[in-house]
Amino acid sequence: MAEQLLEQVRDVVDGQIDFEGQRLAELIANVALSVSGIIAFLVGFYLQDIKLAVWIALGGTILTFIVVVPPWPFFNRNPVKWLPVGGSAPRVQPVNLVLEEKITI
Amino acid sequence: MYSSLVRIQNTFGFFTTVAFVVAAFIAASDFVTPRAPVVNVLKTTNLQVVRGRPHYYSSKKEEYAIIKFTLDADLSSLFTWNTKQLFVYITAEWPSTSVSGTTLPSNVTSNQAVIWDTIITSPSADHLANIGPIALKKLRKSAAGKPIDPSRGKITLKNQRPKYQITHPSGKIAETEDVTLRLHYNVQPWVGVLTWNQNADYGLWNALGGGLSKKFNLPALKKKDEGKKAKA
Amino acid sequence: MLSGMANPRQAAAQLMNFGLIVSTAFMMWKGLSVITDSPSPIVVVLSGSMEPAFQRGDLLFLWNRNIFSETSVGEIVVYNVKDKDIPIVHRVVRKFGTGSKAKLLTKGDNNLSDDTELYARGQDYLVRKDIIGSVVGFIPFVGYVTIMLSEHPWLKPVMLGMMGLVVVLQRE
Repeated sequence: MAEQLLEQVRDVVDGQIDFEGQRLAELIANVALSVSGIIAFLVGFYLQDIKLAVWIALGGTILTFIVVVPPWPFFNRNPVKWLPVGGSAPRVQPVNLVLEEKITI
Repeated sequence: MYSSLVRIQNTFGFFTTVAFVVAAFIAASDFVTPRAPVVNVLKTTNLQVVRGRPHYYSSKKEEYAIIKFTLDADLSSLFTWNTKQLFVYITAEWPSTSVSGTTLPSNVTSNQAVIWDTIITSPSADHLANIGPIALKKLRKSAAGKPIDPSRGKITLKNQRPKYQITHPSGKIAETEDVTLRLHYNVQPWVGVLTWNQNADYGLWNALGGGLSKKFNLPALKKKDEGKKAKA
Repeated sequence: MLSGMANPRQAAAQLMNFGLIVSTAFMMWKGLSVITDSPSPIVVVLSGSMEPAFQRGDLLFLWNRNIFSETSVGEIVVYNVKDKDIPIVHRVVRKFGTGSKAKLLTKGDNNLSDDTELYARGQDYLVRKDIIGSVVGFIPFVGYVTIMLSEHPWLKPVMLGMMGLVVVLQRE
């Protein structure tokens, strides 16, 4: 029972996403943070308001975290198709199999 | 980026990079903003030398100069979005006449003491000012919601009492000759380099215009002020 | 990460990598120290005596060479009082004389009186060698983490606990 509960908590905390989702998440994070930084600087400089600049940058960052961190469904649209268990099927050379190369730690 | 934790770490890491780059740009934006500070009037109005004690329980008696002055300055161009505060101070400067055997280059004044200073916060730093809540409200109101308030850089003081009564380590300051008052400022940024008043133009930053009073001599000791305690 | 334990070569590489990071940081710190001629070229503000210019947790960059001019009135300096080990960041408000013998008096912008009370017994003024640098650069807030950790000791176990929780909840 405790094991099951731990597994469920782990699932929630882990928030695993598929490989395509990882690529997308990284892209969104980098672009969104850069853009909010640029907007913060330009608006702050134009209006000569440093507090506004800080708020824009912080707001953009929080928004980025909300979009990127949880395992939203759109990060899991390309589940990995594993080979069937047992190997009873004749061994054919896999054509489009991606092996762990995307995992970044 | 496979788990939430890794995504938090990576996103935060990139956030710090972006924050530092933006901060560097903000600091650099100072150099493209022109500065043209001017002092229109800086002159002494009343000079006095009294005897007093450095603190309440000291038995040592020293001479203290009380220099009243009039100031009219426009430092408003020093306020930009990256200005946190402006520290304005006036020093009295005089050469050492009793230095035996050593000759100083003419541009070095060997005695310098602050007689008056003030902190002018930018509206973005008003909440940090060390004042009471009523004064803070008034200060906030004076900016009228503007992110920067150049009018705060305009200083007009008439016959202002000094904040600090100055003395010399020897305890003697009466009849000192060739004293001048000089206005200085120190711009404190939100991020970046601290800057002081310049003697020459650098890029878009002009040297401080004026800011030096005429030379004057301190008077002889005033006798009757024996009971008056000097605040060091 | 634990897989490195199974492979001694990988474990050794990780150890070397860690050592490289530590020694690079140390070299940069010492290099900066040599360039600025200051034993501590970057300091964190610990007190509010220079408010509103400096808040607690702000990061200050120091410079301790007199290439163009002497340390003079109006500069914000970091100094060590004789036989006290806590550096103090205050502004020079008086200077009498020139050179290494010049007498300097400091005061915090936010303090009502000057620093005579802070100095050692019998010490009325600072001299140049008491000063370990003048403030030239400023980054707000970044040093606050160190203040938090040193002033709220309960934060350390809390952080360790959170790390432990993360390890438990993570699948290998």
